[in-house]
Amino acid sequence: MTAISIEVNGTVHELDVPPRLLLTDILRDRLGLTGTKIGCAMGACGACTVLLNGAPVRACLMFAVQASGRSVRTVEDLAADDGELHPLQRALREHHGLQCGYCTPGMLMAIAPLLESGQPLEPDAVREAIAGNLCRCTGYETIIDAVVEASRP
Amino acid sequence: MNDWPLYAQQRWAGKRVQRLEDPGMLTGATSYVTDVQLPRMLELAFVRSPVPHARITSLDVDGARSVPGVRGVLGPAELANVHPTMDFVELEGALKTPRIALPGDRVRYVGEPVAAVVADDRYAAEDGADAVVLSFEPIDDREPIHEGIPDGRYFRQVAARGDVDAAFARAACVVRRRLAIQRVVTSPLEACGIIADYDPADGELTCYLSTQMPHLARAAIAEALALPVSHVRVLCPAMGGAFGGKEVMLPEYLCAAVAAIRLRRPVRWVEDRSEALTAGAHGKEADAELEAAFDDDGSLRAMRSRFVSDTGAYSSGIGAYVEFMVAAYSVPGLYRLDAYALDTGGVVSHKAPLSPFRGIGMTTSQTLREVLFDDAARALGIDRIELRRRNLVDDGPWRTVLDEQYEPGSWRTAFERALELIDYAGFLDRQAAARANGRLLGIGISPFVEAAGLGSAGGAGGLPGTSHDNATVSIDLSGAITVALPTFSHGQGHRTTAAQLVADMFAVTPKEVRVLDGDTARTPFGMGTFGSRSGVFIAGTVSQAGRIVRDKLLRAAEVLLEAAPEDLELVDGTVGVRGAPTRRIPLAALAGAAHFAPHVRAELGDPTLTASAFFDPPRPTHSNGTIAAVVEVDPGTGGVTIERIVVVEDCGTMVNPMIVEGQIRGGVAHGVGLALLERYVYDENGQPQTTTLAEYLLPRSTDLPAIEIDHVETPSENGTAGVKGMAEGPASATPAAVVCAVLDAIAPHGDLIEELPLRPETIAAALSEG
Repeated sequence: MTAISIEVNGTVHELDVPPRLLLTDILRDRLGLTGTKIGCAMGACGACTVLLNGAPVRACLMFAVQASGRSVRTVEDLAADDGELHPLQRALREHHGLQCGYCTPGMLMAIAPLLESGQPLEPDAVREAIAGNLCRCTGYETIIDAVVEASRP
Repeated sequence: MNDWPLYAQQRWAGKRVQRLEDPGMLTGATSYVTDVQLPRMLELAFVRSPVPHARITSLDVDGARSVPGVRGVLGPAELANVHPTMDFVELEGALKTPRIALPGDRVRYVGEPVAAVVADDRYAAEDGADAVVLSFEPIDDREPIHEGIPDGRYFRQVAARGDVDAAFARAACVVRRRLAIQRVVTSPLEACGIIADYDPADGELTCYLSTQMPHLARAAIAEALALPVSHVRVLCPAMGGAFGGKEVMLPEYLCAAVAAIRLRRPVRWVEDRSEALTAGAHGKEADAELEAAFDDDGSLRAMRSRFVSDTGAYSSGIGAYVEFMVAAYSVPGLYRLDAYALDTGGVVSHKAPLSPFRGIGMTTSQTLREVLFDDAARALGIDRIELRRRNLVDDGPWRTVLDEQYEPGSWRTAFERALELIDYAGFLDRQAAARANGRLLGIGISPFVEAAGLGSAGGAGGLPGTSHDNATVSIDLSGAITVALPTFSHGQGHRTTAAQLVADMFAVTPKEVRVLDGDTARTPFGMGTFGSRSGVFIAGTVSQAGRIVRDKLLRAAEVLLEAAPEDLELVDGTVGVRGAPTRRIPLAALAGAAHFAPHVRAELGDPTLTASAFFDPPRPTHSNGTIAAVVEVDPGTGGVTIERIVVVEDCGTMVNPMIVEGQIRGGVAHGVGLALLERYVYDENGQPQTTTLAEYLLPRSTDLPAIEIDHVETPSENGTAGVKGMAEGPASATPAAVVCAVLDAIAPHGDLIEELPLRPETIAAALSEG
């Protein structure tokens, strides 16, 4: 067991974990944050994308101990405390940018930092930006439309 | 059957209503099977066969038992009393080879489960699985996979309608095409999974199960474990995609159930991606051949088809039959045809057993038929579009050469609309100009029909059909409306669609309608979600059940308002008297009176404000459409860029056009994957070669163009409210459009194409050989 200190969605957790425990599993099984999904467990699908110190990473490719001393942000942190959806979440809903919803948390966390840059995004840039996140339901186009709209003032 | 009971003003059906499912999914609050945590839950991992064919000589699990955290190990002995997985398929002459949960004597494909290790967590379970020692003797290639099927061919059906041979003998032009449709993997982002939890106090087995058909899965689990169906509950909070891959009963589920019963603890098995790719829900795969006879004016006279599917290691279950049966029976499509001969069947092999997959069989026949039409056009010297125009069925009803009765559709209208949108005439000029500059552009057109809403009156593709579907509509003491559906959405937004329909019946908003699905304890019996059937069955069942409850509500209002029934109206969650705005009663007050007011109860007879109702369409429904694609092929690399895809879809009345378009886009994406990317590969020794998503290529955002969509609405005659059902059609018709476009771009080298997907190396080789 290794003692780690990890900030998740603004709360610091002091935990003892086996060194081989993946970041996905500490989030999901130890902290109950099951919004982060596991799609392939090898970094190919992007379903487990979370923000580590503000940058998107594949939580399935990291050990929990590697996240010690850093801050993690998951999908559960996007909407406001009163439940009001983040503009990106709202846009995805309006554009039907999700169907089964399983890739959605990872998709959201892959896109969120782009949006937070405040620059309007063009469709091709969004298409490139989400190329690492697999969605088997939507064909991506409505996701791209949603992100473009959410990026505009 | 345009009998939608629009008692209230129609306000929600037909609109782009935002989905009720979305907020939970967007915030991470929605649970999938893998998110459910039960107290004392254990995790299960499998020991799987590393070889395609071997006799098991010993299975030593002692090492696993001593691994820290391991709580139990199951081998063939522990599963000995479990029946083979249930098989619903009844086809004369089929040689069935049942799937045993853990086979014990021999293994027949790489990834076949041979033992299960249960531990405190998945890490320990996998450690335990690693410590199991499986000894085996490889079996000679020449020994049959199953003793009862010496040549591997477990089913063959040969049939003919009309004088096929005479038509071919007289034909001015005969074209023939053979195409190998590849094996693919369904690949929902959420793979399969189960949590089994046994309550020894009352003998109930609860299974959280990612399944498209909760009630049939319940029956299948009960049958395998010799439990009464009433003692099994199947539920699933939400499903992360399925696409046909979650229709079958897996041996893995039965192992988890037995482990839970034996250990008296909840046991979870979640299929990881490596398992899903190695031994999970594979789909498609057919060796397909089609011949067509034409007159010199381009009239199609006859077709002959031959399909052989390699369906993997076992010849039982729907996955072993549906691909080649539907392929053979969907060959006529939308073309006038008087004579057709089919020869179809399956062979077993050392591959993972096939599962149904979106566009099952239809994709194979559609692709081959449309490619063959293009071949014929070239052979006859007739424009490809003109050849189709000469043979397309006229809009309206049609009875095929196989006696399938299509309800009226917009076959030609959708076709012409798609040509207009893709600017076929303008494209030909552009193509010629590009050719002159060495650029290879191509166009493909794929008109399709999709039999949906399959009930008792029609099974798909020559398979016997049966069905039994219900829905329950209830109003509780607070006046809140609940709908319970036996279908189970895996992305199609059923809750929203059902809520829209019911909201209109009761003059409430969709948000006020709670829709339950995915739980056998809370929903009435039904077949589940597959084959584009759910729209038809949801509309049919909820309208019947809703009408009964609504009538009771109105009778209660008659008593309370002392009004004549014809004067009552439902407005904004109340029942009122027309023209008398002060005489209105909210649904809650009506529900309260129906529960407790003796004079109202007496009037109602049975005062319960709940009804389950059955629906079975008199005949299948038929959606249709046309897909057009424009591609550019790089003459150097053979790489394909899709420039445009146009879809014109007619699924009858659309309850939620936004959801319909979502299904179209997703279907197109699946079709592009099949045409250009996805390919499951075994090497010559039966070893899987594409066991990660780095090797098995799913379409990414950069592989797909924007998709242009238009609608025609020809209301269904057989589905309530004109609903026809859809979602498989675009998936099955897109590969034809893309493949025809690529072959057009590289013509005349397209004759050398013999298999899908059209990989760059395949195309480059064809280009250089010509």
